[in-house]
Amino acid sequence: MKRNQLERLLRLVAQTEDEELSCSACFELLPQYVDLEVAGDAPDARLPLFRQHLEQCPVCRDEYAILCEFVRLEAEGRSPSIDDLRRTL
Amino acid sequence: MKRRSNAEWITALQEGGGDQAAALADLRTYLLRAALFTLQRARHQTSHLGPGVLGQLAEDCAQEAMTAVVQRLAEFRGESHFTTWAYTFAVNTALVAARRERWARIPLDHVLDGSESRPSTAGDDADPQRRALQAEAVAAIREGIERHLTEKQQQALRAVVFEQVPLDEVARHWGSNRNALYKLLHDARRKLKSHLLARGLDVKEILDLFAVAG
Repeated sequence: MKRNQLERLLRLVAQTEDEELSCSACFELLPQYVDLEVAGDAPDARLPLFRQHLEQCPVCRDEYAILCEFVRLEAEGRSPSIDDLRRTL
Repeated sequence: MKRRSNAEWITALQEGGGDQAAALADLRTYLLRAALFTLQRARHQTSHLGPGVLGQLAEDCAQEAMTAVVQRLAEFRGESHFTTWAYTFAVNTALVAARRERWARIPLDHVLDGSESRPSTAGDDADPQRRALQAEAVAAIREGIERHLTEKQQQALRAVVFEQVPLDEVARHWGSNRNALYKLLHDARRKLKSHLLARGLDVKEILDLFAVAG
């Protein structure tokens, strides 16, 4: 095991809680969390376990990051069009 | 496209007729945009695919997301914008598809059955005392993995944590699901944490020991 792998494991173990959200529970809370975050409305105070799951789960973290960016762009009126997106694939 | 409130979306999608057809067409456009955006952001997973293939993949993902949204409409509780809720399905579907495109060509058996779950990193600090503490910590982690984790947990740890194979790809390989694999890993982390605490080792202190040295 390489040093970065050891550190990754230790970080995950250090942040381990007895009770954690499942991926399904995270998926259900994801749209609410993202809307609160985009609105600047303290999502971690309302959904305290959500961020801890993201720290543990890269797959859910990726979904959160892309959804958050997409919704933020839309809220700012800067959402790319379908044609723009097709052109830049 | 017509802008709708949450209630207007639900009403239009549940009722038949022209309003429903228009709402479905708009929803399809929203979901396609979200799927295209996701595949663009996950382009590193699909670098072997051309734009045409990727465009078709986005269409398929949007259709799959649309089916999920319509089937699960009754589960929408109004705690977010309806569109954010719907986008969640498109982002999820497109990311699962992108990861599958990347990992489907990589055999996971050698990752799961390798012998790399046991820490071999020796302390490499110039300070002999710190080096001894690092070696003690590594030995304790090795003992925790070997003594307290099942073979399945060791395989999951090796694949997901060390080799960074996506959770859903390992779950798919095992015929399992994301929730079950996350729980398997959560139990493994708890066992390791308890083992280290029982040995009088604080995980954050161990991390500092290596972080400072690195």
